[in-house]
Amino acid sequence: MSDNWLLSVENLGVRFHSPRGTSQAVDGVSFEMKPHETLALVGETGCGKSVTARSILRLVAEPPGEYSSGSIQLRNEDGSTTDILSAPEKVVRSIRGNRISMIFQDPGKALNPALTVGRQVAEVFGEHRLDMVLEKAGVSRARASRTIVQIAQQRAGWLASRVVGLLRRQDVRAVRRALDDEVASALADTGIANPRKIMASYPHELSGGMKQRVMIAQALACDPDLLVADEPTTALDVTIQARILKLIQGLQERRGTAILYITHDLSLVKEFADRVAVMYAGRIVEMGRSEDVLRSPQHPYTQGLLAAIPRADTPRGELEAIPGSVPQLIDAPLQCHFATRCAFASAVCREKIPVQTALGGDHSAACFRHNSAEELNVAASDMPLAASATGETQR
Amino acid sequence: MSPSTPQSATSTVEVDSVVTLNDVSVHYPVKEGLLQRVSGYVRAVDGVDLTIPRGQTLGLVGESGCGKTTLGRVVAGLVPATGGDIWFGLSAQQHAHMNRIRQIEPSERSAEDRALWSELEANHRLGSMSKQRYRDYRRNCQVVFQDSFASLNPRQLVRDIVGRPLRVHGEVSGTDVDQRVIELLERVGLGPQHLLRYPHQFSGGQRQRISIARALALNPEFVILDEPTSALDVSVQAQILNLLVDLQRDLGLTYLFITHDLGVVQHMADQIAVMYLGQIAEHGPTDQVFFDPLHPYSRILRDSNPSLEDEEAVDRWELSGTVPNPINPPRGCRLHPRCPVATEACGWSVTDALDHIESHAPAVFESIDSVARSSDFAATIAMGSDDDAHSFVAQLNAAPFHSAMTAPAITNGKVVSLSFVEVDDAQLLPIRDLRSSACLRTQHEGFLPRQ
Repeated sequence: MSDNWLLSVENLGVRFHSPRGTSQAVDGVSFEMKPHETLALVGETGCGKSVTARSILRLVAEPPGEYSSGSIQLRNEDGSTTDILSAPEKVVRSIRGNRISMIFQDPGKALNPALTVGRQVAEVFGEHRLDMVLEKAGVSRARASRTIVQIAQQRAGWLASRVVGLLRRQDVRAVRRALDDEVASALADTGIANPRKIMASYPHELSGGMKQRVMIAQALACDPDLLVADEPTTALDVTIQARILKLIQGLQERRGTAILYITHDLSLVKEFADRVAVMYAGRIVEMGRSEDVLRSPQHPYTQGLLAAIPRADTPRGELEAIPGSVPQLIDAPLQCHFATRCAFASAVCREKIPVQTALGGDHSAACFRHNSAEELNVAASDMPLAASATGETQR
Repeated sequence: MSPSTPQSATSTVEVDSVVTLNDVSVHYPVKEGLLQRVSGYVRAVDGVDLTIPRGQTLGLVGESGCGKTTLGRVVAGLVPATGGDIWFGLSAQQHAHMNRIRQIEPSERSAEDRALWSELEANHRLGSMSKQRYRDYRRNCQVVFQDSFASLNPRQLVRDIVGRPLRVHGEVSGTDVDQRVIELLERVGLGPQHLLRYPHQFSGGQRQRISIARALALNPEFVILDEPTSALDVSVQAQILNLLVDLQRDLGLTYLFITHDLGVVQHMADQIAVMYLGQIAEHGPTDQVFFDPLHPYSRILRDSNPSLEDEEAVDRWELSGTVPNPINPPRGCRLHPRCPVATEACGWSVTDALDHIESHAPAVFESIDSVARSSDFAATIAMGSDDDAHSFVAQLNAAPFHSAMTAPAITNGKVVSLSFVEVDDAQLLPIRDLRSSACLRTQHEGFLPRQ
């Protein structure tokens, strides 16, 4: 692959330990993201897409989670790279919300109900843009006392901020005003009409769409290189969803942020993403440019997923459902996880794990139908019906 | 074409109906203060006319909070309607009679009509029907709920969950129950091995199958499906939708399919009713509503719905603003403050003017001292200072609805008097064959106005 990637996930494995056994939630996931591009990570409930997203910010709780293999490299401005999985916590903290930020699925749960919107968004500036805030307030770093810094970071205790607020009223006011200005402009950027009023309100006073805008403002406050959006519109109505997607797209165009878009809805992919990776049971089964994958899906799972979506011309009652349900991943056998539901499955599918096979034009799929018996070193009779035999490949 | 008589939109239907709603409302009181005085009503469902024809699927679509679930619960008899009539099992002829007599004042009805009316009420109207008929109704009208976690008792076995309606209605007893439950489970694609399991042992799709089996236990003719697949993944959703279609074909069921997913409703429904803020905005055959919507809201919903079809994204309509307060919904057409094609005749009122000021000029809004309304369409507003009054008027004159006002006048220096053109509240009226819309402009022009 090309060398201008921003983020490179290599063979990522995440597993969870539970009394019932170990579940490999993410199993050998690899992908790269270029600057400015949008990659959609699509899959059904429990396929590991959210765990993958959280791993990028190292947000998976350890224990019960464990990063069992792989690395996540983030390219720095000077060309060096940081491995997020092995970097010290302090380094990761400086990346979160600054270079990589995240929008969560349910804005109602992701915002702190006890803080005003203004204070929550201000935290980001205090954490990552402290110098800028102090400079705008006209307070030099040398002159700023510890408490003033804490006030800027929203961490000062009540008593300390009162005392300092009395002693150095001007500085404290200037810092607060500088923060408020930053927050207001960040909120205004997301199309909130009267940011000053929204800043003073608590999350429960806002509608779902408005809360999601606040989350987006918070996530984009520091102009991150990468935005991880974990189903940002699933909890919203379609009319609001359309507006939020348009907003994210507009902000991406203006700022050149790369977006990793996690969703279960393939129909969003067409308009929104440059590339798409389809996940099933912890593995990426197919990856490629959105139009290629949607037009000629190469993995039986992607094909099934697309056929299951009702379209205007599908006769009623004749949706092509994928039989069965997602397998349990606790102590799962070493095989293609889709084999139990796949119409093409054969002996080899139950014995080996398929690897990504390049199909040309950035398109790849992890299915033995795209391999030959010689490549795998198995008998021809163990192979599933080749994709080329049914004329599905070769564009 | 402008319909002059306030004729009910349901009167065009000439088939037997399972359920007919006439002007049904559900208003929840809002209580405030120490004495819990009622200060207003949330109009969850507000004047809905709807006929559910036998053997068909009626799709009910709308966004969260539009009242679609409440309407479903009213039809199921789970929530009492606070106004209007719900009729059950009217034949086409009875339906016509009911519609005719309803138009006549009770004091002016002939003796024959009166007798017919009381017979209809005793046999078909919810609330006045006999106990026996009500039992019939409850048997024949079953519900599949959205959240199968919440709607299946976690402490009961599948045998008890699915068998309960059979026992309650005294259908079968003893060991016959198990036999019947197994038949039902097989009907929905499960097997006898599932009889002695608890709901948590099943996946989401299987739990929804159990809900469907329970709903079918009493051989109902009508099933209300309240978002039956919105908690499921697409591959499982397809299984459940196929199952529902099979059951409808084999058992001759009538469905009320409540959903927010337009792709699903387009696939499943013969007719759809689009709901917005407690009212039906548009009602008609599914394909026609999709390809030629007669209400701006239907068009917006369709345009906002992401789809895999290869259509060009041209001229998409969008909804602006947020959902208005259902305690005090907009006058005229309920969509007008957010509608891309609203004109001065759509029902602008004082509340809209204040909302506009609040979002566009918060400083001016803060300086309002008091608002004295003489009606929804007229008010005098006292401002903090003369300057504020002037900027208030300037803001209003620049607003998109300025032509709906008589020019706001400043009296006494800082008091502004406002008055708007009074508009009747929009009603769902027939536009053409089988189609009805509540859009005031469509009703006037006969087609959806252009943007």
